[in-house]
Amino acid sequence: MLATNFKIAAVVVLTLAAYSMLANMIPQIQSEVPEELELSGEVTAEQLVGAGERTYSGAGGCTACHGLGTRAPNLLTGDGGLGAIGTRCAEREPGQGCKEYLYASLTEPSRYVVEGYNAIMPDARRSLSENQIWAVVAFLQSQGGEVTVTAEDIASSGGGASQPEPAPATSSLAASKEPRALLAELGCLACHVLGDQGNAVGPGLTDVGARRSADHIRESILEPAAEISPGYEALAAMMPVDFGERMTAGQLEALVTFLAEQK
Amino acid sequence: MAGRTAVTRTSGRYRVTARTRLGLARALPPAILLLGLLAAGAQPAWAQAVTEGGRAYGHFPVIGSRAAVWIAAQVHLMFAAFVLGVPMFAVVTEAIGIFGKQERYDRLSKEFTRLLLIAYSATALWGVTLTFLLITLYPRFMSHLTEIFEVSIWIYVALFFFESATLYIYYYGWERWKAGRAKIFHWSLGILLNVWGTAVLFIADSWLSYMMSPPAEVTADTAPAQVQFWSAFANATWMPINIHRLIANVVFGGAIVGAYAAYRFLAARDPEERAHYDWMGYVGNFIAIGALIVLPFAGYWLGREIYEYNQAMGITMMGGFMSWLWIIQAFLIGVLFLAGNYYLWIGMGRIPGAERFTRYTKWMLLVLIAGVIVWATPHTMIANREELAAMGGTHHPFLGVLGVMSAKNTAVNLMILTTFLSFMLYRRANKKPVVAWAKQGTVVQGLALGLSAGVVIFYGIYGYFVTAIVRIGFSVYQVISVLAAMMLVVVIDFIMLRGAESRGAIRWGQMPTRSQYVLLILAVSFTWLMGLMGFARSGIRQHWHIWEVMRDTSQWAATPALGYAGIVISVCVLIFLAIVAFVFWIGGLIEKPVLAVTDETAGGAAGLAPQPAGD
Repeated sequence: MLATNFKIAAVVVLTLAAYSMLANMIPQIQSEVPEELELSGEVTAEQLVGAGERTYSGAGGCTACHGLGTRAPNLLTGDGGLGAIGTRCAEREPGQGCKEYLYASLTEPSRYVVEGYNAIMPDARRSLSENQIWAVVAFLQSQGGEVTVTAEDIASSGGGASQPEPAPATSSLAASKEPRALLAELGCLACHVLGDQGNAVGPGLTDVGARRSADHIRESILEPAAEISPGYEALAAMMPVDFGERMTAGQLEALVTFLAEQK
Repeated sequence: MAGRTAVTRTSGRYRVTARTRLGLARALPPAILLLGLLAAGAQPAWAQAVTEGGRAYGHFPVIGSRAAVWIAAQVHLMFAAFVLGVPMFAVVTEAIGIFGKQERYDRLSKEFTRLLLIAYSATALWGVTLTFLLITLYPRFMSHLTEIFEVSIWIYVALFFFESATLYIYYYGWERWKAGRAKIFHWSLGILLNVWGTAVLFIADSWLSYMMSPPAEVTADTAPAQVQFWSAFANATWMPINIHRLIANVVFGGAIVGAYAAYRFLAARDPEERAHYDWMGYVGNFIAIGALIVLPFAGYWLGREIYEYNQAMGITMMGGFMSWLWIIQAFLIGVLFLAGNYYLWIGMGRIPGAERFTRYTKWMLLVLIAGVIVWATPHTMIANREELAAMGGTHHPFLGVLGVMSAKNTAVNLMILTTFLSFMLYRRANKKPVVAWAKQGTVVQGLALGLSAGVVIFYGIYGYFVTAIVRIGFSVYQVISVLAAMMLVVVIDFIMLRGAESRGAIRWGQMPTRSQYVLLILAVSFTWLMGLMGFARSGIRQHWHIWEVMRDTSQWAATPALGYAGIVISVCVLIFLAIVAFVFWIGGLIEKPVLAVTDETAGGAAGLAPQPAGD
C-alpha cells in the first residue's frame, strides 16, 4: 500500500508541476496599478516618450486592442502595410497636425473610427490623466515620426506638474442643446445612421420616431440594456451607459425631442 | 437580464437609479462560516473603529496579505464546492435507488454523504481562517462589505445552521428511514439539504459578484449605508455566477468522488471491494464529464454579462493581460476531454461486446487531439514588440488561421460530440436491442450525429467569410445543432434499448490500474482549473477591491502574472488534496461500506446516467 500511496502522490505532484510549468512558459504579464505621472515644466521628449510607452503598454491598456490588429489598428507595426502611426498621423485628418489628431482620437475616439472596426474605444480621460494622454501621444509620434509634444501642450489642456486625478471623461461636453451637434459630440453617428450620415452598426435613427415613443427613446439613451432591438443583441454592450451623466437634463430632452420627430 | 430602471433627476442631470440587474459573477468565497457570526456579533463596533481612522490594511508575514487571503479563499472554495456539489448527485443517486429499485445506488448515495460529513468540518475551518484573515488584513474593505450585506450575512449564518442540522439528520437517519414512505421522507431531506446549500451559495455569490459588478449608481463617493441592499445583492453578474457555480460544483464533486473511488480501488484487497469502487469511479467520472459538457454554455452567459456590464472588463478578461490564461485553460480542458474519453475506452475492455467498437477509438482520438490543438492555438494575444516580431505578427503565419473563434468553436463542438459518442458506445457496448427497428434507429442516430457535425463544420468554415458580428451568431447555430443531435440520440437510445438483451455482464473490478490514475489526473485537473478560473474572475477587477468603487491601495494591489498565479494555484490544490486524502482515510476508518455491485439486474436503470449497461 505504501508503494501505491507513493505512486498516487507522484501522479498528483507531477500533474501540478506540469501545469505550473505551463503557466510559467507563457509571456508573463502583470497588471500594474496605474501610477500618477508627474511632469515638470522642463520635460524632455525622451522623458515623454518613455512615460508614454509605459502607459501604452501598462495602465492605458492600449495593447489589449491596438497590440493585435484585429480589434483595432495596430499602431506600432503598421495597419495594412501603411506603416507605424508616427509616419502617417499628420495625414489622417485634413487640417489637423499629428499631435492634434492623436490627442483628439484619444479623447474623442468615436469621431475617428477607422473603417472596418467597431467603435469600442473608450475616452482615454476615463482612466488617464492629461499628462499620461500627452505622454502616449508623444510615444505614438515617436513610432516613425518626430515628437512635437511640448510642456505648453500639456499645460494648455489642464495638465502639468500638479495635475491631480484623471478628469471625468464627460466633463467637456459642450453646453449646446442643438441635437445634431450633440449627436456628433456624443459619437452617436459612429454606430447609428441618421439620413445620409453615420454608420449602420446599431439601429437606424432616420425613422426612429415612427418606431419609438419619446419615453422609449429616453430610456434607450439612459439605460440601453433595458430593451435591446431585435437583431442587435450581440452589439448591446457597445452602447455607452453613461449618457445620463454626460448630458444635462436640457440636452437630453432636446435630443429626445429631436429623435422622436424623426419619422 | 436587466430589471426595471428608474430615471430620476438630480441637480439638473439625469441619473439612473435603482438599477437592479439580475445577473452577477462568481463569488466571494462562499460558505464563510464564521464570517456571519463574527460580523453579526462584532461588526458594528469594529466597523465604526475602521471608519474613524483605523488602518486600512494589515500585514501577513513572508507571503504577504494577498497570497494569504488567496490561498485561504481558494482552499475554502474547493471544499465548499465539494460539499455543495456532492449532495446534488447524492440525492439523484438515492432517487435512482428508490425509483429504479436498485439498492446499490442507495448505498452509493450514503457513501457520498459520509464523505460530505467529514468535508464539512474542513470547509468550516477554512471559512474561519479566511474570515480572520480578511478581518485582520483588509479591515476597511470588510467594513464596507459587511455594512451593505449585514442582513444577508445573518441569513447566511441561519442557513448554515439549517443545512448542518439537515445533513446530520439525513445521514444518521439513513438506516432508520430506509423503506416505504419513510424512505421518501428521507429522500426529501436530501432535497432540503440541496435547497439550503443552494441558498448559501447564492448569498455568498452576491458578495463576491458585487465586488465585480457593483450597481451603476454606486460610486467611490457612495457611503455603504446609502447602497440599496437588493441592488447590490442582485448585481449584474450574480445569476450567471450562481448557475455557473452550481454546474461547476457538480463537475467538481463528481471528479473528487471519482478520485476517492480510484484511491479505494487501488487500496482494495478483495475483488468485491475493487468491483464496488470501479463502479463508483465510473459513476463519478460520468457525472463530472456529463456536467462539464454543459458548463461552457453557462460560462458563455457569464462572459456575456461581464461584457455587458463593462466592456473594458470584458476586454481585460479575454483580450487583455489575461488573454494567455485561455490558452492554459484550453490545454487543461484538452486534458480533461482526453482523459475522460481514455477512461471510457479502457473501461470498454471489461464489457463483453465492446470489442466491436474499438476500431472507432483511433478516429475519436484523432478528432480530440486535433480539437485540442486548434483550441489551444494562440491568436491575437497580448505581446510586446519583440514577441510580435518573433511570431512574425500577431499570430503564426500558417497556424494562426486556426486560432480564431470560427475554428475554436468548431473544434470544441466536435470534441463534445466525440465525447458524447464515446459515452453512447460505452452504454451500448453489451446491449443488444430487440426492437424490430433497431437497425433503422441506429442509422437515424448516426445521421443525427453526422448532420450535427456537418452543421458545425459548415458554419465553422463559413465564419471565415463573414463579418465578426455575423460570425458571433454562428456559434449559436453550432451549439443548437449539437444539443439537438444529442437529445435525439438519447431519446432513440432509451426507447430502442428498452428490454434489450445483454451480451454479458460488465466485469466490474477488472480495470487496469492505469485507469484509476487517469481518474486521479482528472480530479487534479478539475481542481486546478477551478483555481485558474477563480483567478480569472477575481483578477479582472485588477487593482480594485470593488470595481470602480473601492481601489486597492495596498502594496499587493497589482494583479500578478500567470506564472505566479499558477504556483499559488498548485499550492492550493496540494493543500486541498492533502486534506481530502486525510478525509478519505478517515472515511475508511469510520465505517466499512456495504459493497454490492452484483445485485444489479440487466438493463433496468433509471436513465442514461450511471447505468452503463446491463451488468
